[in-house]
Amino acid sequence: MSPFFKGKKQAAPNQSQPVDPMPGSITSNLQDNLSLVKQKFGNSPDIIIRELKIGSSKAKAAVIYVQGLVDNQLLNDFLIESLMQYQSSSQNETKPEMLDNIYDLVIPMGGVKKQTEWSKLLESLLVGATLIFIDGTDKAFTVASTQGGEGRSISEPTTQNVIRGSKEAFTENISTNISMVRRIIRTPDLWVESMKIGTQTNTNVSIMYLNNIVDHDVVQEVKKRLKKIKIDSILESGYIEQLIEDQPASPFPQIYHTEKPDVIAGNLLEGRVAIFVNGTPFVLLVPVVFIQFFQTPDDYYFRFDIATFTRFLRIFIFFISLIGPAVYIAATTFHQEMIPTQLVLIIAAQRETVPFPAVIEALIMELAFEVLREAGLRLPKAIGSTVSIVGGLVIGQAAVQAGIVSPPMVIVVAITAIASFATPSFAVAISVRLLRFIFMGLAAAFGFYGIIIGLIMMTVHLCSLRSFGVPYMAPLGPFRPVENGDTLIRAPWWATKKRPSLFSSNNVKREAENQMPAPPQPRTIKSESTEKGNQNES
Amino acid sequence: MEKAKISPRQLFVLMVLFQLGSSIIIPVGLTAKQDAWLAILGGMAGGLLLFLLYYKVGSYYPGLVPTEYMPKIWGPVLGKIFAFLYVLYLFYLAARVLRDFGEMLVIFAYPETPLFIINLLWMVLVVYTVRKGIEALARTGEILFTVVAILAVTSFILLVFNGSIDTRNLQPVFEEKPITLLKAMGESVTFPFGEILVFTMIYPYLTQLKKAKRVGLYAVLISGLILSVTMAINLSVLGFSLLSRSQFPLLSTIQTIQLAEFLERLDVFFMIGVIIGGFFKITIFVYVAIMGAASLFKVKESSHLVFPLGLITLFLSIGIAGNFPEHIREGLDVVPLYLHLPFQVIFPLLLLVGAILRNKKKQKKQLATK
Repeated sequence: MSPFFKGKKQAAPNQSQPVDPMPGSITSNLQDNLSLVKQKFGNSPDIIIRELKIGSSKAKAAVIYVQGLVDNQLLNDFLIESLMQYQSSSQNETKPEMLDNIYDLVIPMGGVKKQTEWSKLLESLLVGATLIFIDGTDKAFTVASTQGGEGRSISEPTTQNVIRGSKEAFTENISTNISMVRRIIRTPDLWVESMKIGTQTNTNVSIMYLNNIVDHDVVQEVKKRLKKIKIDSILESGYIEQLIEDQPASPFPQIYHTEKPDVIAGNLLEGRVAIFVNGTPFVLLVPVVFIQFFQTPDDYYFRFDIATFTRFLRIFIFFISLIGPAVYIAATTFHQEMIPTQLVLIIAAQRETVPFPAVIEALIMELAFEVLREAGLRLPKAIGSTVSIVGGLVIGQAAVQAGIVSPPMVIVVAITAIASFATPSFAVAISVRLLRFIFMGLAAAFGFYGIIIGLIMMTVHLCSLRSFGVPYMAPLGPFRPVENGDTLIRAPWWATKKRPSLFSSNNVKREAENQMPAPPQPRTIKSESTEKGNQNES
Repeated sequence: MEKAKISPRQLFVLMVLFQLGSSIIIPVGLTAKQDAWLAILGGMAGGLLLFLLYYKVGSYYPGLVPTEYMPKIWGPVLGKIFAFLYVLYLFYLAARVLRDFGEMLVIFAYPETPLFIINLLWMVLVVYTVRKGIEALARTGEILFTVVAILAVTSFILLVFNGSIDTRNLQPVFEEKPITLLKAMGESVTFPFGEILVFTMIYPYLTQLKKAKRVGLYAVLISGLILSVTMAINLSVLGFSLLSRSQFPLLSTIQTIQLAEFLERLDVFFMIGVIIGGFFKITIFVYVAIMGAASLFKVKESSHLVFPLGLITLFLSIGIAGNFPEHIREGLDVVPLYLHLPFQVIFPLLLLVGAILRNKKKQKKQLATK
């Protein structure tokens, strides 16, 4: 082996242990403590150490915080100023007494703790707390309420637009997100549990559930799976999603994600568990069933008949985007006899000049469309429209006029594309995008037989999935008639008497009896009362 | 045995789909001419009796499948030999049904595709499903049952609006001699109703064993009625002479639909229904055959057997007959007499006698020890 590699190998252990092992707790010498903090952070300039003297006692102290993670205004006005103006009550006050006095009288904030352990101190420093060290004491304060700094404010959702309903969306800040749900469900039964995942990122992950509704086995299972995660970083909830799902070898999403607090609230009320991850507006929901990906929040806000219609429409859309091109390929390649005569003549006439078999034609068009979509997604908005114009012109017009593809194929691909955008859940739309190509292959090889076999296989696959113990296709398979009030059809609210017992094991009663609204008793028509009524109305 | 549970509803759906699977395409009881639909009803009565027979035998050994209780009744050596024959019978039927559906697709839509390729795709699906287990199959059954029901109702409505149903085709009723009708009934007992035998391998999965009897009786009854109604519709649309010359009467019936100059050539309805039915028929046969083999040879992980035995079934389906006429001939002349009759009727009867005798002995012993 060359010495170069040897050298590298020898250097490696030094890199993995750059600093001395951490001492367990702080010392009473201020300078020692400060130098340890500096050394620990490698003198990073964003770790601000402000040394000061505490008011009248002239005791040396230091305030440590991370620039950008704290609210400067709050820190200056309340913390540093109060410390400087501290007046000790007695002349010969001992250090521990002073410590208590400062805790009791000086810091006008919540979230103040006395700490001695370095690990805890550094951890809270990194989430935006301020540390206060006082010379001569072996305790330090952590002030958690100084957390602040810049963050995105609450804005409208970008992926789940609604026509009716709350326009709020989650932000990147986990505490803001949790508070947004708390503002909707105001009950002490809304429980939150926190943990940190990621050896490097120490990402805050919280699970939230309604203690009186949730199935506690699911909560235990969620906690078990989260605790099992040993990874260096969690940058987005997608990391968690892929690390805790039941069946990783499946194209279908087994965990729901949303950026709308009202969706989280609605699902918590059905007994699901929400998983919040710091740094992302996408909150996870488990357990989930397949049909949920076809539901939107405004289904529940609109009238039930309209909502039911749109749900059927979405299932239809799902199948179009899944097998649209495949059916075209199968029909033109194998089953011309199944197309009505006039139609088949038109298609055949158009296809006459096309030099490819239908499957190649479809593949070219679908790939072109995927390229266009990917290009449009990443480009700046100003150029994005150029792409669509160029793409539309080139593919829609020029390719047809050149006789490379047939107009019916363009229609099929365009309908499929629009259908795939109309699927409410992007997670399902993206897996359908993948499966579409498999179905096109089956159609090219076996016609409708291949498509039907593929669909049955997909159904078997979907039926074999589970999400945190709940069958993925429930309540369709296993069929639970009672719970079909909120699947393909959306029963009116006055008929939705129960929560789905799939998720909430113990507490399924949702509303009182006789919630169906009805007009008041018709007024008995007497001659007097009608006269009176007339007067009132006039 | 895998660790799985299915609900009575799921068992019912599986039984109905299984029985309708191939019998809805291949006409049954045609010796009775336009009374075929009556013959099917008679066959159904026989099917109910057969079901009760299987249920009775099984009820002496709850939670056990036939390959497990055969050695208990007939002694380890003889019992195992018969259990082995029974497993072979199941494999043969699986291969037969696979061949049926493969040939059907070749004739109906894919004249230029090799049978082996068609059967290969079937087996890919079947092997995948069997590996996923009975629970996934049962859930799929519930969903696809709805699909089939919607297709059937739609077709029926379209047929009515199309005006193709002519009940005069069913007349005269009871034209043939009673003996011919009885013969037709007898034919339809073993196929399709006698094939319910395979569910003796599935009952142990049922969550409520008590309901097995009711579920089974209902399933035979409902599928018999559906079959009879379908046959009556086919007869009234096509008439007997056309029907007897048609390879797939149901397809011919559906092809008569021509509505609004657009709703025509609904072959795809037929295709969806047939493929779903075929899927359940083949999968259940392969599943029970593999479970039987696993329990007979004490293989703990039955999923290990799925690939090799699935492959064997695939090759068996090609090898059992040289061509389609030979296959059909065997199915009509040889199989009912030499395979269905012993395995569906004679052996279960012998098993019942054995079980009753064994249990009497046991009771006597128990009394003696008391």
